[in-house]
Amino acid sequence: MATDSKASAQGAPKNPPERSRKHLIAFAVMMVLTAIAFAAVATGALPLAGLVTLLLIMAAIQVILQFFTFMHLDQKGHFFPIFFTGAGLLFAVIVVLGVWLLL
Amino acid sequence: MSSNNNLSMAPKMPDHLETSTLEGKNKILGVWFFIGAETVLFASLFGTYLALKNQHMDGPSSQELFNLWMVGIMTVLLLTSSLTSVLGVVNMHRNDLRRTLFWFGVTVLLGATFLGMEIYEFYEYTHLGHHFTGSAFASAFYTLVGTHGAHVLFGILWITGLIIQVRKQGLTPVTAPKLYVASLYWHFIDVIWVFIFTVVYLLGKVG
Repeated sequence: MATDSKASAQGAPKNPPERSRKHLIAFAVMMVLTAIAFAAVATGALPLAGLVTLLLIMAAIQVILQFFTFMHLDQKGHFFPIFFTGAGLLFAVIVVLGVWLLL
Repeated sequence: MSSNNNLSMAPKMPDHLETSTLEGKNKILGVWFFIGAETVLFASLFGTYLALKNQHMDGPSSQELFNLWMVGIMTVLLLTSSLTSVLGVVNMHRNDLRRTLFWFGVTVLLGATFLGMEIYEFYEYTHLGHHFTGSAFASAFYTLVGTHGAHVLFGILWITGLIIQVRKQGLTPVTAPKLYVASLYWHFIDVIWVFIFTVVYLLGKVG
């Protein structure tokens, strides 16, 4: 979807109308993931280790969806944003594990 | 050859109104910088919370406090507000001023409802003996969730201000990057909430 924008000769931004379907689908997937996560905790059907893994995977998928659909990282020209956010996430993981395990 | 700002090293981005000037592109890049830094801020608070969450002394524990229904409704509100703000940006790309303002207005309303529920939640917790200075768990909890709430409040004020400005000035190369950037910030607040409801509330409920 990243290659669909060639500007018109006047230089004015002219794009084929952006579809909101992609966003609506992403939103529906997020809602389902959230519902699964809450249901898994409310029913208590899983052992603790499996539950923690499931919840973290659900959260990770949701965050990736947010970044690449809602925050437009799927569009071209987003090398630096991906780089900075990736660096932020890398340090975030180090900080969380560091503080958690040291305290 | 599409536009007149290709002489810079600015990255090639889609030809939208918010990326039509170098200033707009730089604003977007700057906010991504900011988001990278905010990630580390919240990571420190998450790390602190995880380390201290079982130190609740004689105050209530997370299992006794948290109410899944309440958190579920708050999550739905914030996730929906993330969708409405992206719909605002989609309509901005269509140059539809009325719909842009409408969707950003809905975003603000959903955010305000979320914040109201969070204030009620904290109020209820203090009645259950869960005070900021009560235990290490309480301090870490209120600092993490409260910092997120403060970000929501800031986002509400920011987007409200932009709605007022865009009503007066319309969608221009000056106002479009502002709306786009505010919507990026709002999505980021939602990303943080995804981790809060997972790590704090859901994992707090199972212990």
